[in-house]
Amino acid sequence: MEPDAQGNGSSVAKTAIWLVILVLIVGGLIVYGNKGKEKKEEVVKEPIKIGVILPLTGDAASYGEGARNVYQIAADEINVAGGVSGRMLEFIIEDSKCNGKDATSAAQKLVNVDKVQVILGGFCSGESIAATPVAAEAKVTLFSPGSSSPDLTGISPYFFRNYPSDASQGKALADTAIAKGWKKVALIQEQTDYALGVYKAFAEAFEGAGGVIVKEETSTANSDFRSQLTKLKAAKADALFVDTQTPAMSERIFKQIQDLKWSPAIIINDATAGDVKVISTYKTLLEGALTAEFSADPNNAQFAKLTADYKTKFGAELPFQAYGQTEYDAVYMIKAAIEAVGYNGEKIAAWSRTVIDWKGASGSVTIGTNGDRVGGHTVEVVKGGKIEKYQ
Amino acid sequence: MEYLIHLGVLVSIYAILALSLNLVMGYTGIISLTHAAFFGFGAYTTAILSTRTNLNFFVTVLVGMLLTSVLSLLIGRVLSKFRGDFVALGSVAFNVIVWSILINGGDFTRGPLGIPGIPRPEIFGFSFSSNSSFLILAIACLLLVFFAARFIERSSFGRVLKAIREDEEALQVFGYRVVHYKLAVFVIGACMAAVAGSLYASYITFVDPSTFTVTESIFMISIIILGGLASNKGAVIGAVVLTLLPEALRFVGFPADIAAQTRQAVYGLMLILLMLYRPQGFVGEYKL
Amino acid sequence: MDIVPQLIANSIIAGSIYTILALGFNLIFSTAKFIDMGYGVLTAVCGYGVFFLSSKLGFSLAFSIPVALLVSGLVSFSAYKLIYRPLRARKASGAILLIASLGVLFFLQAILAIIFTSQFQGLSSILTSNQTLELWGGTMTELQVITTGIALVLSLIVLIFLKGSRFGKAIIAISDDEEVSKIIGIDTDNLIGIVFFIGGIIGGLGGILIGLDTGIEPTMGLPWFLSAASAAIIGGIGNVYAGIAGAFFLAFVENFGIWKVAGEWRLTIVFVVLLVFLTWRPQGMFPR
Repeated sequence: MEPDAQGNGSSVAKTAIWLVILVLIVGGLIVYGNKGKEKKEEVVKEPIKIGVILPLTGDAASYGEGARNVYQIAADEINVAGGVSGRMLEFIIEDSKCNGKDATSAAQKLVNVDKVQVILGGFCSGESIAATPVAAEAKVTLFSPGSSSPDLTGISPYFFRNYPSDASQGKALADTAIAKGWKKVALIQEQTDYALGVYKAFAEAFEGAGGVIVKEETSTANSDFRSQLTKLKAAKADALFVDTQTPAMSERIFKQIQDLKWSPAIIINDATAGDVKVISTYKTLLEGALTAEFSADPNNAQFAKLTADYKTKFGAELPFQAYGQTEYDAVYMIKAAIEAVGYNGEKIAAWSRTVIDWKGASGSVTIGTNGDRVGGHTVEVVKGGKIEKYQ
Repeated sequence: MEYLIHLGVLVSIYAILALSLNLVMGYTGIISLTHAAFFGFGAYTTAILSTRTNLNFFVTVLVGMLLTSVLSLLIGRVLSKFRGDFVALGSVAFNVIVWSILINGGDFTRGPLGIPGIPRPEIFGFSFSSNSSFLILAIACLLLVFFAARFIERSSFGRVLKAIREDEEALQVFGYRVVHYKLAVFVIGACMAAVAGSLYASYITFVDPSTFTVTESIFMISIIILGGLASNKGAVIGAVVLTLLPEALRFVGFPADIAAQTRQAVYGLMLILLMLYRPQGFVGEYKL
Repeated sequence: MDIVPQLIANSIIAGSIYTILALGFNLIFSTAKFIDMGYGVLTAVCGYGVFFLSSKLGFSLAFSIPVALLVSGLVSFSAYKLIYRPLRARKASGAILLIASLGVLFFLQAILAIIFTSQFQGLSSILTSNQTLELWGGTMTELQVITTGIALVLSLIVLIFLKGSRFGKAIIAISDDEEVSKIIGIDTDNLIGIVFFIGGIIGGLGGILIGLDTGIEPTMGLPWFLSAASAAIIGGIGNVYAGIAGAFFLAFVENFGIWKVAGEWRLTIVFVVLLVFLTWRPQGMFPR
């Protein structure tokens, strides 16, 4: 003991007691937790454990909550219909707070303690980038339905995603803007990896063709965009690109555009376009707005079923539809993979590269050799509060 | 086992942060909410230098410490002019400003994209690429910081700091330049946090600005409050408990809907209860 | 096109909200003498109160707003009774109270997220009519004009109340010197409790107006707290007039800074202004 700890035995004893209590609590929790699991295992065949990494607290918690609900819907459907080769799917969900540290902790725990072979996640690109080395080391598949950073393209044979990289979307939108004869575009970008990725791809194509972009960036915590919008309005651009991470952010921006009595031609990214509610609420403002999605076909039967089920089960609209569809598909793709090659991380990762024209809620899925979803975004237009194909 | 090694590395990094913040808060009595900024500064220095130049990890650590000492000297100089609890508010401001620089740094910091692909340390041909070897490195750094902190505490410098904390005015009367003493310990603490940052960057292999927010600073304060101010032992105990607690909670069969938020609530409650019933923490010798 | 009129309008909108929030912060800080980081979360408590009563249960705004304000006042009052009062009674330092208030912030924030999820909620759909008005080349919505009116009227009411009523004078006495007030027979404990109650209502009112204009989420507390505290400090702590001046000054600097510097540096602009004031004019904009 250190001499300056006042030397009296009682403080040392107290510390010791506190530590013992702590160890008992932690140990008790672990034992208790394991007991719960063992009981379930006794019932029928051992369930198939799928690791899940999601941001459930922090700024990105709103995505994590939506994703968890969608996963649950898909897993419940599968389990009610008899599971995967007669075994139930069971999720082990870990909070990764949208940052690298917690994502690696979560991945380490899933890989080494729960011994899962497949991890769904991460959601934020930062989570996936940090968790990939952990998964690759243990030969476990990391399958992200939400990370879109171009940095993830070809990062590891053990990583793949059914959400496309941001690069294709920005290019599709820029091409259409150029075709429309737009020379100058005002752009408001949320400071997140996704929105920045879309901007970069858009800027490369648009400025490459001689266009000019006037850009304002805004932090996620911000809620007052009036002065930034005032600046953009004064730039007298041909169109305004609202490049946000979430429909909620776009909703605020749309409201403030209206408050400014401004009615520009608008471009939105697929994060916003996927939200039916926002599109219909602001249908006057958004009439004729351009967007690019890789699917979000409301006529897709599986997707329509997902949105309906979500509403009955959770009493709310499916919050982030662009992600909801890939999250839903991800669970079914894992089912397909396990049925095809068995519950083995290495084999599932290899299987992922063979996925061609897999039909799901997000349309037809093809995974390239670099682990990215193949297929570009199609340009669409908002008409009367609904999204239609752009002609 | 890998998982335990991983937790060991995290605990070591946070224990370094706690020891360094403890030097600042425990021995000067000021609440510093800028510590995550110094942590981030060290992490980004290593991230940028080791992905874009061939500099050795250990060189980047030294560069990180050097840059952080300049930064913390500036920040500390300004903070030393504030009276009372406004230091806390001013330190929040500095943390947000440093965070803004990281996120608005354009191609230099890659903004919200963060910097991936940071290599693990190497020295004399030996690579710390496995987690177990990294754990040894992290523990070595922790021990170094621990003994440095203990040395400072027991030196004449440390005794003056303690005296300042107890009665600042009396020391001024005796002719001590109180501001210089406080500033010195602030800079030393910041440099130690930068070391933790470098370790963090090369261990996780990825950094982005979201790790270095005010919330992270608040987490560090909670660690040393729990362990006890002005006690190195307490800082380490606090780091062990608060880093492992959320991990332990992963094993409880809580419904996932509320587990994560419940942890945040428990965390808030813990701060309140500690302040009400045990403001000196587990083993602390000094109350704020 | 000249954008200055619109920027002025934007500054007035932001300044009005800052005025309201700074008012509550000022009242609490000048009587209880500590930085109450938990104050900001009352905006979310009250905002979600209105959301729950009117959007979920279908009550009219005329009913839900007063009830939510009462709830927010009571939450603030109970935080004082249960936590801050016992701490103050044993002469705990400002630092301890500050950390306890951080605990309150985390706790309430997590509880809100558990009940209402972390999803963003816009309250604007509750309003049946919200016309946009053109004023001297700038536009403001009806709600924003009403907010400005509320900010000014509320400041006036608080001012009259402080100067004119016995109760108000007692509060001023406490903020000058709590010990002396006790000696001359003022029931300081109860009075500070009432101040927390009123502060809670004012913070909650700000939360409702923010919610109707731009929407609410559980984590809104800390950013709004920082704006309110900055406005109060820039104006000069403990002075209602100065609070209004500080709020509008901050709003103008922020909005014109977005124009002349860049939007992504907005937080940096705000905090640099705060640091400049803390360093060179800790007494605020006006001489004491």
